[in-house]
Amino acid sequence: MSSHREAPAISKDPVADNTDTYAFVTPNNTVTIITNYLPVEAPAGGPNFYEFDDAVTYQINIDNTGDGRPDVTYEFRFETTNTNPNTFLYNTGPIDRLDSPNWNRRQRYTVTKISGGRRKTLARRVPCPPCNIGPRSTPNYSALADAAVANLDGGGRVFCGQRADGFFVDLGSIFDLATLRPFQSLHLIPTANAAGVDALAQANVHTIAIEVPIDHLTRRGRVPTDPMDSRSTIGIWGAAYRQRAAVRGYDYGSRHVGPWMQVSRLGNPLFNEVIVPLSQKDRWNSVGPDRDRDFARFVAQPELARLLPALYPGVFPNLAGLTADRADLLAVLLTGIPQGLIPGFQNFTGTTQADELRLNVAIPATSNPNRLGLLGGDLAGFPNGRRVTDDVVTIELRAVAGATYPLVDPTFTPDDAVGVIEDGTFNNPGRDFLDRFPYLGLPYSGYDVPAAAAS
Amino acid sequence: MDPVTRRSFLIKGSAGAVGAAGLVAGGIALTRDDAEAPLSSAELELADDGAVLVQITNAATGEVEVLFGEREVRFTDKALVARVLRSAR
Repeated sequence: MSSHREAPAISKDPVADNTDTYAFVTPNNTVTIITNYLPVEAPAGGPNFYEFDDAVTYQINIDNTGDGRPDVTYEFRFETTNTNPNTFLYNTGPIDRLDSPNWNRRQRYTVTKISGGRRKTLARRVPCPPCNIGPRSTPNYSALADAAVANLDGGGRVFCGQRADGFFVDLGSIFDLATLRPFQSLHLIPTANAAGVDALAQANVHTIAIEVPIDHLTRRGRVPTDPMDSRSTIGIWGAAYRQRAAVRGYDYGSRHVGPWMQVSRLGNPLFNEVIVPLSQKDRWNSVGPDRDRDFARFVAQPELARLLPALYPGVFPNLAGLTADRADLLAVLLTGIPQGLIPGFQNFTGTTQADELRLNVAIPATSNPNRLGLLGGDLAGFPNGRRVTDDVVTIELRAVAGATYPLVDPTFTPDDAVGVIEDGTFNNPGRDFLDRFPYLGLPYSGYDVPAAAAS
Repeated sequence: MDPVTRRSFLIKGSAGAVGAAGLVAGGIALTRDDAEAPLSSAELELADDGAVLVQITNAATGEVEVLFGEREVRFTDKALVARVLRSAR
């Protein structure tokens, strides 16, 4: 998964587990940034439906100086209340509006922008929508979700609450010894070829999304128009923090104390998931991108690139012979792609190696996106930021298998197999993205998922 | 620089007059034990606002870490560590 339960420690702390980060240019000179938490929510998750944690600080961080440290931070703190002390129910009747008296367990949040050492509250006590319970409890869920989109002081919009998980991937296949399409029959332990299974097809997540003016994110508040200008690229990552200690009381209440410590982060999809060794994943989650030079060797010599020729004998002969450090992946994931490699494109942020989702904000959105992003010739797609529809699993599998190595060594020819690797879950008909903020689809309802058997 | 006590650690830390990071980096040692002095209202408020958590990080050297609010301070006090460990027996 992009970063769902990707490390041992955070897999035990789902409310702080950053599962995906998206960033893309949106209309009216804005950028939309989405960070998701709470992996693999079962929609029928009652009676205690999913929610953010009041004891976690959630942040969206933006580096506009290329040093791997945040220059602009949007911070989110949540406050949970029960309105009816005498019921076991999440709601005691239909929730038809965000201030419905029937809604027992609700969350509000405050958004604070941190920049230049100053903190400014952009929105205070904004209501989250309820979880999507079902037709009796949340009969017009779309209206509830729309009502939960709030304006930010100074410009921009925000939404925090449940959505359908936008990430699509065949988890069962990939983590069964890297079973890839369309090569299942060529695996060392072969099986019949089969279509991809979208393991997250009916899972929800909790989303933190902002749509903010570009000049709120860039160095010196500019709106870059030249994609080749080094100041056109910003680096983005989501992160969650807990205080160092929690003391549990006998009444199950907890006191949290001490400095805030990072427990989860996510820039590029799948970085911690498939690049960082299991033994170091927790440490990676605890440090900032400015420390990622410590992990660069795992990018330079990715384990998966060594596994593919071994697991698929004869399918990846050129990859098997590629023993040099992967300068292509180091650029894509840790520094951005410098000028001169792809005509009309760069998202290089300097020599500091940092896992950030790099977005060249001078490249406008396209009305005809290619799911393969840059690999498909679409400069507005991953790894130039990441849109909700980008097929990042297929893109990264192909890149690791050698598709991007010719960028740094034109004499290298990727194996024929590289161009046909597929995760096989793109365009799942059950997916329902929005063409407007916050772009991720409405969450699946607990009444409908899992579906009742036909009688 | 004034002598630093456990009390002044907490008061200065809570008031923001001394940065926690500086205290940690400085490795400040106690120079006066005023454990018997009455607590001030500011000190009492620290405990009321939330947990004040004291952790012995190195019993042999007497290193102690105090977590309070969103801060932490560290100091060395072998006598305090000895008393705590004896009380835990």
